[in-house]
Amino acid sequence: MNKGRLARYSLWQFRDFAIDRGIAIVIIGFLWGYVTFEPMRRAMGPAWTGDQRSPIWGIAIQFTSAIVSLSVLIAMNGITSLDRKNGYYRFLFAQPVNPVLYYAQLFLVYMVGVLLSMLILASLLHIILPAFSIVYFLMYVALIYIAMGGIGFFLSTATRYDWLSLAAVWLGSRILRGIFGPKHDWKSKLVELLPPVHRVDDVANSLIGSGTANTNDVLWLLGYGLLFFVLGLVILRRGSLAD
Amino acid sequence: MEIDGSPARHYVERNGIGYLSELVAIPPRWRAETALVRYATLAGISDAEITQRVGFVIELLGLEEHRDKKVKALSKGNLQRLGLAQALLRDDKILVLDEPTHGLDPLWTQRFRDIVDNLRRPDRTILIASHNLDELQRLADRVAIIDRGRLQRLVSTGYEQTAPAQTRFRIAIASGHDLFRSAFPHAEETGRDEYDVTVHSLQELNALLGDLIGKGVIIASVVPERSVLEQQFREAVGES
Repeated sequence: MNKGRLARYSLWQFRDFAIDRGIAIVIIGFLWGYVTFEPMRRAMGPAWTGDQRSPIWGIAIQFTSAIVSLSVLIAMNGITSLDRKNGYYRFLFAQPVNPVLYYAQLFLVYMVGVLLSMLILASLLHIILPAFSIVYFLMYVALIYIAMGGIGFFLSTATRYDWLSLAAVWLGSRILRGIFGPKHDWKSKLVELLPPVHRVDDVANSLIGSGTANTNDVLWLLGYGLLFFVLGLVILRRGSLAD
Repeated sequence: MEIDGSPARHYVERNGIGYLSELVAIPPRWRAETALVRYATLAGISDAEITQRVGFVIELLGLEEHRDKKVKALSKGNLQRLGLAQALLRDDKILVLDEPTHGLDPLWTQRFRDIVDNLRRPDRTILIASHNLDELQRLADRVAIIDRGRLQRLVSTGYEQTAPAQTRFRIAIASGHDLFRSAFPHAEETGRDEYDVTVHSLQELNALLGDLIGKGVIIASVVPERSVLEQQFREAVGES
């Protein structure tokens, strides 16, 4: 019964995603892509081949990887904290609904939303870069959504400043791993506890380019994200729904 | 805290409750009717019944002309009615209403009382949190007085148990002022045909008034100086 009514409500959740976040993601992605690629396409003229040997390819990987991170950030912004901050949880959870299932479903619905938004953008990019595989790209999107989104979900349940803290954790991990990297001192060991963001670039290059990636890297990213997603659910189960 | 033998949160997750919070928080861009449809969906009301049930509460709370308005466009009173409509979507056994008449105009305050009266049922518990003692006196069977976070007293609002505490009344007279003043020689005239009187018991008051009515005095109203509940409240919080 609980699952049935939640499944019916997923259509409303998807509608919210589309209106509040999906449209913004597509518009930002399109404009960003346009100002990135169109001047180069014009400048290169017939030299623009759109295959993986083109110098554009590396830029395309970096661009799409950044758009994915940004869209996950937008998707996770306030995913649970918004209801707490604004008091919307009161009427939502006066209904016979389990908040853990409600937000777990919301996380999945937003994942579908992010994938569809990325599908639209990837389809546009595929027109000017035929070697760009939409399927491989969507595999990468799903991986990053779970890896980064899982941490974002946790931060949204644990703090009020979720998008800010997610951006800080994601970028901070990248910087700290760059500074303290693979050494054998205690700082390096401590940095190992941070999200495995240093593996994202390699995964992006191989997964978007060829549809394959180092299994170890993929498992690290998936495992880290899923762990924090589950921790977020535990907080929802054990903690107060109010701020 | 437990409800029906289960931790409150588990009970609500399984059964739901009708709940109106003091601050009605509904996303501002939702439309009034859409908000109710959403809550009804979450409440497990079938698609076939949603239209009928939502239509019913909209009509009950007089929200017909506001059904297509965004929540942010609703006045405080209308928002309060929308919150109440949300609480009445399901036929819940437990209703928790926190300051339910906050922001309602006098007409809707009276209608709210009628709605609550109609919701009374032997197998239903309606819990109203309010600072309005008069409202509680009219609506509640029992009132729990909480002061500084602690339950101070559980009061029945029936008159039988608490009436002896009442000694001062304000009585309005439509005609027969001289007769009244002779029956109550210590009555203090307050103007507008009203008198404050002190009696030792309700029996004494009734006997005197009965005698006056028999002599043709027309009594317009008899109101205790402090309601039963107000008196109990003042005693409970040490302000008697």
